[in-house]
Amino acid sequence: MQVPSEHLLILAAVLFAIGVLGFLVRRNVIVVLMCVELMLNAANLTFLAASRQHSIPGEPNLVGPVFAIFVIAIAAAEAAVGLALVIALFRLRQTTESDAMQEMEG
Amino acid sequence: MAEVFFYALSALAVLFALGVVLAKSPMMSVLNLLGSFFCLSVIYLLAGFQFMAAAQILVYAGAILVLFLFVIMLLNLGDISAHSTGFLGALRSTGAKIGVAVAVAIGLALLISVNLGMLGLKPAESLPDGIDGMTGIATELFGRYALPFEAVSVLLLATMVAVVVLAKRQRPGTDARKS
Repeated sequence: MQVPSEHLLILAAVLFAIGVLGFLVRRNVIVVLMCVELMLNAANLTFLAASRQHSIPGEPNLVGPVFAIFVIAIAAAEAAVGLALVIALFRLRQTTESDAMQEMEG
Repeated sequence: MAEVFFYALSALAVLFALGVVLAKSPMMSVLNLLGSFFCLSVIYLLAGFQFMAAAQILVYAGAILVLFLFVIMLLNLGDISAHSTGFLGALRSTGAKIGVAVAVAIGLALLISVNLGMLGLKPAESLPDGIDGMTGIATELFGRYALPFEAVSVLLLATMVAVVVLAKRQRPGTDARKS
């Protein structure tokens, strides 16, 4: 594929921006977690684009894929803990809207 | 050709990502996220990252999104079945038609790929080696990055314990704050 790596970076930036938008705008905690996943995916794409940029034929740069694997592991842990928290909160409040939880607001 | 695919898939991935943000029901958000992840996986493949493409499908689409779907269905948040009555109603809805079409397409592709010789076709040439070969990844992961790798394994163990503690139903009569 002859696409320059900059275009991969632009795609990652757009996906990250959409993730931030959803993270700030949506009130459903589950959808907020999904937007975090979207942002982590954009970060992965950035890692891989950088790795592709710095690879020369015969001598691939593998730092990007290795860190992308770490990001995937962290994302799995984050999703598991986040969803466990959602289940615990749902048991307490019978809702997943973040507006329902305002005890710490002062 | 691959360039055209890349730009089309990029546009599709962005559209699906917008769908995640704009969808009303969490169920539709998850399905849009699935679409976005699949598009990204093919983009990884086009960019030469074969292992990452497989990991994207197996770990993200196969494990994390199933976890999301599981929680949404557990909490009964998906209102996707509101306007379908019974099996026939579900079969009539547009989504089911698309699903059946995709299933038939996958089946046909499988049949053709298995019976290539019978149809007088030659199997496609295998893909050139990508950037992230398994040997290279394993050498890096268990060599230079062995310590972060072990740290991640500790993190996953801690996560597992935390999830069990958080999601466990409290027994009636016991107060979580006292124990």
